[in-house]
Amino acid sequence: MIVFRDVLIFAGLVALAAAVIASLFPVGEGASPVPACSDCAFKLTGGYWIRQYGNYAALYLGTREAARHGWAYRADEGRPLRIGENATCDTAMYLWVVGGVAYVSCDGSPPRFGRDVLGPKLPFVDVRINSDWRRGCDTTIRFEANLTESLGVEVEVYDEEGRLVASATGTIPGSVSFSIPMAGVYRVHIYAPPLFDEWHTLTAQVRISDLLRARVFKSNDTQDLRSSTSLKIFDLTNYWKKGYTSVTVHVNPAGVSFTLSAPAGAFADFLLAWEDCPNCDPADGDMYVDEVWRLTFTQTNIVLTNIHSGGDFWHEVYVTSQPYGRVLIWTWNKEGPKLNSYTINWFSTIVWIESQDSTMNARATFVKECYWG
Amino acid sequence: MWSLAYGLIAMAVVAFVVLYAAAHAPNFTTVNLADQLYGAKKWIAEYLPSFPRVDVTSRFRIFVNVVRVVRANATAYDYDTRQWTTFPVYLPVGYRLERAGENVIYQIYLNVTRCRYTALPWGEPATLYEIELRHSLDQLPWLDVYAAVPHNLTQYYSWLHSYYTAWRRPPAVGLTPRVGADEAFMELVKAEHILVYNATSDSAKLYVAAPAAALYVLLVDYPLKLPLTCPEQIASALSESQRSDTPVIGPPSPR
Repeated sequence: MIVFRDVLIFAGLVALAAAVIASLFPVGEGASPVPACSDCAFKLTGGYWIRQYGNYAALYLGTREAARHGWAYRADEGRPLRIGENATCDTAMYLWVVGGVAYVSCDGSPPRFGRDVLGPKLPFVDVRINSDWRRGCDTTIRFEANLTESLGVEVEVYDEEGRLVASATGTIPGSVSFSIPMAGVYRVHIYAPPLFDEWHTLTAQVRISDLLRARVFKSNDTQDLRSSTSLKIFDLTNYWKKGYTSVTVHVNPAGVSFTLSAPAGAFADFLLAWEDCPNCDPADGDMYVDEVWRLTFTQTNIVLTNIHSGGDFWHEVYVTSQPYGRVLIWTWNKEGPKLNSYTINWFSTIVWIESQDSTMNARATFVKECYWG
Repeated sequence: MWSLAYGLIAMAVVAFVVLYAAAHAPNFTTVNLADQLYGAKKWIAEYLPSFPRVDVTSRFRIFVNVVRVVRANATAYDYDTRQWTTFPVYLPVGYRLERAGENVIYQIYLNVTRCRYTALPWGEPATLYEIELRHSLDQLPWLDVYAAVPHNLTQYYSWLHSYYTAWRRPPAVGLTPRVGADEAFMELVKAEHILVYNATSDSAKLYVAAPAAALYVLLVDYPLKLPLTCPEQIASALSESQRSDTPVIGPPSPR
């Protein structure tokens, strides 16, 4: 027991003496030398500090020089020490030595090598845009993201003249819906800083295709275009968009006209004027007035309305209508249906106007389309 | 009694010295930047096929770890229905990738800015790619560029089509299902390339001359491999009739 006590006392005194002597020795000979290495990280506790000299940086423990490095940087500030500048920490000093250069940090944040060359870095947001053609070009923009909190998003829709026609707000993740009231080309602004500041083009239109002896006009046309054209289609949508309350359309060389008043809530509006005979009707006032129909796309339907019928030949007007297919809706000078107004609950239709002289038979396909450019 | 007191005091002194020495001994680990860099690139290479694909340029500018793609239509022979079919594919044309190791930030930005047909000095037709390259580390340790020349483009697209039918999402040329999975359909040839640094900006230009028949070029910053295509060239190649060649009946097994 006594021996054990004496050994302990002796060991304690030796350790104390060793610690005191070690702190007096120069580099590398103490009890706790800083290993010399070119690529390592240290946590140094105690009175360590670094001083930058003209050609090297010295790491001191108290007054004793413990190691030398090429140059010293502050890892937290990312700048090199000036000559004669000291770097010290309160509790612990974190030191990275990479390629002989020392990086000092007091909070343990490691130095990072590599510049930022990418600029903004945001989480990915998935954007899906859907337009429902059957309704009035109802558009839904869906945002999917793995954001930690939701972010507000504004969507604004401007028409060709820069007027705001629709706006909606929502969140990311989430969705935003709006509807396009009339055919046209729209600019859509998706704004959710800093994730989005984007402009898109949304085209909402009625595409008229598959024309047989038919032509589309944006304004009056009084010419006799027979043999090539028996059906004149006047697109009135732009007049209603400009705010006119009524429009008069002149259809033949005599200037016979039809006056239409602005429809409420129409997506697109057309006047159809048809001639039934290839070489008769020398009196100019009878041309293109044998069947006159108005075709209006509302938000959800297509409505055909008879405005005028005339002439000596028999006529037949057919349309395609879901789910019935080709339907005879109007006859003139013969037995058959006499529906002077017909509604199609669909976004597209084909119109046929036929007579006993089949060389004047005309056809046109109308399709409502909404797409992103 | 006294001996016990001496003993306790001595033990306290020893314990203090040992603990003090242990607490003040420099605590060190090695820093291996090369390993960290390799780990960062390997991580990107592993997740590259699942990174989002964006075809809107403004989104490519802000999102990170995304692939910029151009949507195109490819013609394939469907071995199930035994007829020709057209399906959408994505053509990768840019990358914005980042992965940080503990001490290394690895960032690479690639963007095909231009590409066109050209002729090499000895008259061989080639596709010249101009690729914008930004890199977070000043010196690329080594950059290899290969051109992937398909043995039979129809067969390759028919193989991609099997992924389209399985996933119902457009596959990406060179990336689906992972980089290098198409080695049975492609021959990798070394492509001539030159890297032009710009003293006033971070952005360097990489010019690559690939054989005209190449479907994509493969940039290798080992172990990361990044395929880049030239959409204009592929579009013109697709418009030429791919249907003239006879398909091999019997599905090539997707691996």
